[in-house]
Amino acid sequence: MILVQENDFDVDALYKSLLKANKTGAVAMFVGLVRQFADDPEEDSSFELEHYPGMTEHNLQAIVNEAYSRWPLLDVCVVHRVGRLKVDDQIVFVGVSASHRAEAFQACDFIMDYLKSRAAFWKKESKGNESHWVEANIKDEKSLERWSK
Amino acid sequence: MSKVRVVFFASLRERIGHSEYMTELDAPLSIAELKQQLASELDKGQALLEKGIQASIDFEFARDADLVLKDVNEVAFFPPVTGG
Repeated sequence: MILVQENDFDVDALYKSLLKANKTGAVAMFVGLVRQFADDPEEDSSFELEHYPGMTEHNLQAIVNEAYSRWPLLDVCVVHRVGRLKVDDQIVFVGVSASHRAEAFQACDFIMDYLKSRAAFWKKESKGNESHWVEANIKDEKSLERWSK
Repeated sequence: MSKVRVVFFASLRERIGHSEYMTELDAPLSIAELKQQLASELDKGQALLEKGIQASIDFEFARDADLVLKDVNEVAFFPPVTGG
């Protein structure tokens, strides 16, 4: 399941959706949150996530398909929020169920790594009256090298 | 001659001042050539020529040498992605 949505998500419900009766031996999950980015936490700060409707879902599906081709997985769930968010809000969920933990851990890590550099999302931070687009992190692109076959 | 829809996102959309633009393709152009064409057609199109601007052709990430053929529906230009 791949969802790009404005609404918040319920981790417990997503976890339960990943469980397959008599098959699942491991579930790995990752939740990304909006970190405090203002120097003064009292300052009015917010966060806007823009995406490219159609392409974003297409990118996420390609990443999930690649994960399925690399590991024996039972189910994968990716939820990414867009629109206006606040500090401490949930942004992204990646969950993977499998028979054993190694593939669940690795596939979850792989999907998150690719999502950072190969899915059409852009973040903009606002503090008071100022706002700026977040610059891409070179470390995220570098991290993909771990997965080259 | 064919028309292709070009869309812009995030900081690039704000700098160019358009989210969408229709342009003519006289012949198949590479992404690099299309950037040059748009840079001369759009007032603030020079922003497209800056280093690091990425592109997609019909939702697939594209490189400068990739060709935009007549049957392409949509080309996008944007800064490096920052999701997750």
